[in-house]
Amino acid sequence: MIRLEDLSHAYGDERVLADVSLTVDPGEVVAIIGPSGVGKTTLLRILALNRRPTEGTVELDGQRAWSVDESRRLELRRRVGMVFQRASLFDASVARNVAYGLRVRRSWRTRLADGVRSLVGSNDLPAAVEEALDVVELRDKVDQDARSLSGGEAQRVSFARALAYDPAYLLLDEPTSDLDPRNTGLIEAAVGEARDRGLGVVVATHDMHQAERIADRAAVLLGDGLTEVGPTERIFEDPTDERTRKFISGELVY
Amino acid sequence: MPLDSLAYPLAVFLDLPFREGYVSSIIYVSLYVSGIAVGLSTLFSIPVALTMGFTDFPGKRILKSVINTGMGFPSVVVGLLVLFAVSNQGPLGTFDLIFTREAMIISQFALATPPITAISLAAVTGVDDDVRDAAHVLGGTSLDVALVVVKEARYGIATAILAGFGRAISEVGSVLIVGATSRRRGASRRRGR
Repeated sequence: MIRLEDLSHAYGDERVLADVSLTVDPGEVVAIIGPSGVGKTTLLRILALNRRPTEGTVELDGQRAWSVDESRRLELRRRVGMVFQRASLFDASVARNVAYGLRVRRSWRTRLADGVRSLVGSNDLPAAVEEALDVVELRDKVDQDARSLSGGEAQRVSFARALAYDPAYLLLDEPTSDLDPRNTGLIEAAVGEARDRGLGVVVATHDMHQAERIADRAAVLLGDGLTEVGPTERIFEDPTDERTRKFISGELVY
Repeated sequence: MPLDSLAYPLAVFLDLPFREGYVSSIIYVSLYVSGIAVGLSTLFSIPVALTMGFTDFPGKRILKSVINTGMGFPSVVVGLLVLFAVSNQGPLGTFDLIFTREAMIISQFALATPPITAISLAAVTGVDDDVRDAAHVLGGTSLDVALVVVKEARYGIATAILAGFGRAISEVGSVLIVGATSRRRGASRRRGR
């Protein structure tokens, strides 16, 4: 379980998040809904242990991520996968991109040996890479240069890259905001599949319909804090918070 | 005119510099000294560029100005400064480096480091932040992230190294001062003589 407690974050003097508390259980999809620029990305980066919050605690599987030493934190960090809003692929083949997470988890000796083997050209694709590419239906693009893919394909590779090393939690930052319906459908199906395999998934989105389609719970981020957290259906049909109600009905425009 | 008749004069022309061992030794020493200096400078500059690119520390702006100034520093001044440093009374005087290849390497290192650092810095800061963060959130250590950044910036870094080599090998002014031109001693004397 990931647990955020009384989390606040500021960039210099600018406060982005205030008193955010949230839990993410394995096997559930939590949507973080809110308008653009409200701090969803910052929240996800904090969940990924990519950024240290100015205040509050981040607990991952019972351990306070910022109270433990660096090597322990790396271990915690490696239980989480993240997909950015832009695909942000490395300048390499699709296979190397997807295998990245696996590669950095190996010892330097193995990595060196793999490097030599790939120079000779006898490097087999790890099964996990193939499986991850199957999930996003891009097995046939495995040898292609990642930078030559279309936007939708690149985002799917980015998804596969986060899935390949079998993380316990998956964080998605507006994963389908630039995608066509087919690619969106593929990613949403993959999210469902990940949940069924027991991953805890957090999706930041401004698309409320998407949140309704895929999320078990929703957390509404307005202003600098969460106005409401609860089962998606309940939040959309019967929000208790006035600002949430206004945001969902489209009255509250930031 | 048949090609054959050109062959002999051409051969003489191409061979001439190498008949005289002095010229070939100059070419050899130039390449040797510049190569070593640029190699050392690269090993030094790229970690500096990565550190400057991705961390904030006090004095970073000043350091940046120093590096940029260093890019345009007259080579003769660099040569003089190194000469002071390696001369008997200088801080490196005890190593007896004056008029040696080692002194030339130090001088060329000082010449090549600013352009290599500055151009590498521009290249690594040009790498997409999200790509760097991706390397981190996918489980990379700081070293993994640095390797990804270097790989993404490889063309810029290659340009930096070439520019550094260009400056090192072309700026004769600085190395002449500390390497000396004494013909009697060849291109430069051996250390410790």
